[in-house]
Amino acid sequence: MASSTVLNVAGALLSGDFRLPSLSSQRLRKSSSSTSMFRLSNGDLSAPYTCSWRLSRDKALTNSKSFAVGREAEDGFLSNVSEDSDEMFDDLFNKYGKVVYKSDDLKSPTAEVDDDAESLAFAVEMAKVASEVKAGDIKVLFVKPLVYWTRFFIIATAFSRPQIDAIGSRMRDMAEKKYGKVANGDVKPNAWTLLDFGDVVIHLFLPPQRTFYNLEDFYGNAMSVPLPFEDEAPPRS
Amino acid sequence: MIQPQTYLNVADNSGARKLMCIRIIGASNRRYAHIGDVIVAVIKEAIPNTPLERSEVIRAVIVRTCKELKRNNGTIIRYDDNAAVVIDQEGNPKGTRVFGAIPRELRQLNFTKIVSLAPEVL
Repeated sequence: MASSTVLNVAGALLSGDFRLPSLSSQRLRKSSSSTSMFRLSNGDLSAPYTCSWRLSRDKALTNSKSFAVGREAEDGFLSNVSEDSDEMFDDLFNKYGKVVYKSDDLKSPTAEVDDDAESLAFAVEMAKVASEVKAGDIKVLFVKPLVYWTRFFIIATAFSRPQIDAIGSRMRDMAEKKYGKVANGDVKPNAWTLLDFGDVVIHLFLPPQRTFYNLEDFYGNAMSVPLPFEDEAPPRS
Repeated sequence: MIQPQTYLNVADNSGARKLMCIRIIGASNRRYAHIGDVIVAVIKEAIPNTPLERSEVIRAVIVRTCKELKRNNGTIIRYDDNAAVVIDQEGNPKGTRVFGAIPRELRQLNFTKIVSLAPEVL
């Protein structure tokens, strides 16, 4: 039916002008094809594409509602919704492009795990440095679940201030050379010397201060990281 | 805004209860201290049988102020009280635990020891 109207119109135009008809017929054919696809009546040829499509879909919706019963009805409704949202997303897609914006501070879980692994490697390396300089009772605690401001604590005991100085300077050198990290915190050796590398915070205590502050108890819920050099036999004393 | 003669609560278990600011460390004639500043204070009230006694002069770090603390992101933090943590000359806290919430700015000001003893960091 639609095609017949097109032919008629085209014929009428053909009689009048010689150049225009080819163009107009093309245009009309386009609109007719769109209307026939969505089973619209041939009445409005001038109606725009989107408008006609909506009309047809409303019809389909009413049909499904009238015939489907119970769960089927729900399914039908749901499928329509999904179709609708797909179209909606397509529209948004065309409008705003392919880039989806996201908040900056959200990290993907894999990136977080990678970061953790990097920090863990650094922490274990630092603990190894401490054990090379004969620090006692070295503990690496994973405190990320407890406090937000850091990931790992290293707690170690040194037995004199020169030893604390030695451990601190070696750790600083290693961190700067190998990882390019610079420590904040104490510069001079102190009874409680703290090196803050951001993700890893190192506490070096003299024995009385270690028992006094008792940081391990305060962070008792933190997971202790097993260290590779702990298994080795201790050197002769 | 802590100035000489201001009374502060003590936010640790060092044994002091109340401090009075007598000097602000920093510039020569500094008027006010804010969070993270070191002050010289005198203990006005202390818990009996503890190492710190009344009328002792100590150093302390301010950890909470009634005056608002503004951050670059627009956050404003205001506490109910003025509070400080007692430290020694080397910067080690005299107490072993810090009470209450403290701001994260203390870490940037190299008071990570106090931060690591605190139960909550804002």
